[in-house]
Amino acid sequence: MHTGAKGEILKIEDLHFSYEKGEEVLSGVNLTAHDGESIGIIGANGIGKSTLMKLLVGLKLDYQGVLEVAGHAVNKKNLSHIREHIGYVFQDSDSQLFLSTVEEDVAFGPTNYGLPPEEVERRVNEALLKVHMTDLRTRHNYNLSGGEKKLAAIATILSMEPDIIIMDEPSIALDPRNRRNLIKILNEINALKIVTSHDLDFIMDTCKRVVLLDEGRIIADGSADEILKDKELLESHGLELPLSLSRR
Amino acid sequence: MKQIEDNIRELNKLQNLQQRSHWMNKLHPLGKLLVCVIYIFVVASFDKYAMDKLLVMAVFPAFCFIVGDLSLKDGLYRMRLILPLVLFVGVFNPIFDRKELFSIAAFGNQIPVTGGVISMLTLMLKGLFSVLSAYILIATTSIEEICYALRCLHVPKIIVIVIMLIYRYFGLMGAEADRITTAYMLRAPKQKGIHYSAWGSLVGQWLLRSMDRASAVYESMTLRGFNGDFRVKRKIVSARDFLYPFIWIVLFILLRHFY
Repeated sequence: MHTGAKGEILKIEDLHFSYEKGEEVLSGVNLTAHDGESIGIIGANGIGKSTLMKLLVGLKLDYQGVLEVAGHAVNKKNLSHIREHIGYVFQDSDSQLFLSTVEEDVAFGPTNYGLPPEEVERRVNEALLKVHMTDLRTRHNYNLSGGEKKLAAIATILSMEPDIIIMDEPSIALDPRNRRNLIKILNEINALKIVTSHDLDFIMDTCKRVVLLDEGRIIADGSADEILKDKELLESHGLELPLSLSRR
Repeated sequence: MKQIEDNIRELNKLQNLQQRSHWMNKLHPLGKLLVCVIYIFVVASFDKYAMDKLLVMAVFPAFCFIVGDLSLKDGLYRMRLILPLVLFVGVFNPIFDRKELFSIAAFGNQIPVTGGVISMLTLMLKGLFSVLSAYILIATTSIEEICYALRCLHVPKIIVIVIMLIYRYFGLMGAEADRITTAYMLRAPKQKGIHYSAWGSLVGQWLLRSMDRASAVYESMTLRGFNGDFRVKRKIVSARDFLYPFIWIVLFILLRHFY
């Protein structure tokens, strides 16, 4: 795996982005992350969390500032290389699963990168094992439940063995059992994880580091314990204490 | 609303059929595609009055429906949108072609059978056989495999990708249409169908939302290394993959020339 000069796998410096001229969604974001970290990006609706994620994977390229993934600047030339290192789990699993069966979808990424069939097979087996879906490998995507779809979507990313996994609202629409299952699975993954969510309890259970975004800037960056317990900080930026803490 | 749901379910059933572990599903897609295309060409090549000879060509769909465990009833039902069109093709022939070919005795009378009637029935049979053979292909072969076979035949990449994406887009548009109409019907329980005043905005919403979904799917594909070419797992070719098309193609040629 390639890293930056200081061993960082993700480097963002003075990042600016706007959809329309004069209306910046992100204005001066700075962030570095290292291998194996788990980072929760939190913030109210419409403050640029999803935009930041899309910039990281190169879905938007017209940004200003420095944005490097695995030592490579995010630009058109490096896109293919960057996307080998980074996996993005969409909020809506239906957008992620577009082939007929779970197996075909999980094999899609590795096959596209030209891996030999035996290696594709190994990765598919391993990814499905990690999300406990080996029994459902030949199941039609259409017939999966919401929780199973989410796990299958994660498996499609795990099969690419990325260094960075980005997840947009992964706990949305999951029942408690599937949510608990997802937390367990995420905690077993060793890659750098970046999770955006409004579900602060979920962030607390899966991330050690939390970044609070508001008005296109990073307001706070620190340990999950420190930030998620700071009622005043959270409330001043449109959030509330996690339910598990507010009940105490 | 129910009709959209039914159509989505039908599409899903067809995909389940393609995923069966039957030996016909496991055959190399190129062989199946060639058999289907050559069958259609051979069927189409029969003379317009050669209905008796054409009937022999029923051997292929009959074999596939019986041996392939496919339901003829389901096949005809799923092809119901195309069948009336192919059956309609020769409907005017009896008017224009009145030449008497032979007559049949019925209830003590001789009923003349004109060339128009025979050519109409021949055209209908040709259409029916062609549609059934296409159904056999899509019921035993997934869209990815058909596209793989097309690539094996060196059909341009762009055409194959467009076919595949259109197929995916159908399901997606169906799902969006279902959501929109469900949301509408739940808030207009006393209405039968959708009021014309809402058609414009519903269709607009439908297109915008399905385009959003389609671009999300495309983003998901590009993020997993999609660069404009679908790579399907290369099939290992067995003796059966050669024998199946070989036997059928030889049989078609023999039936066409010697029967």
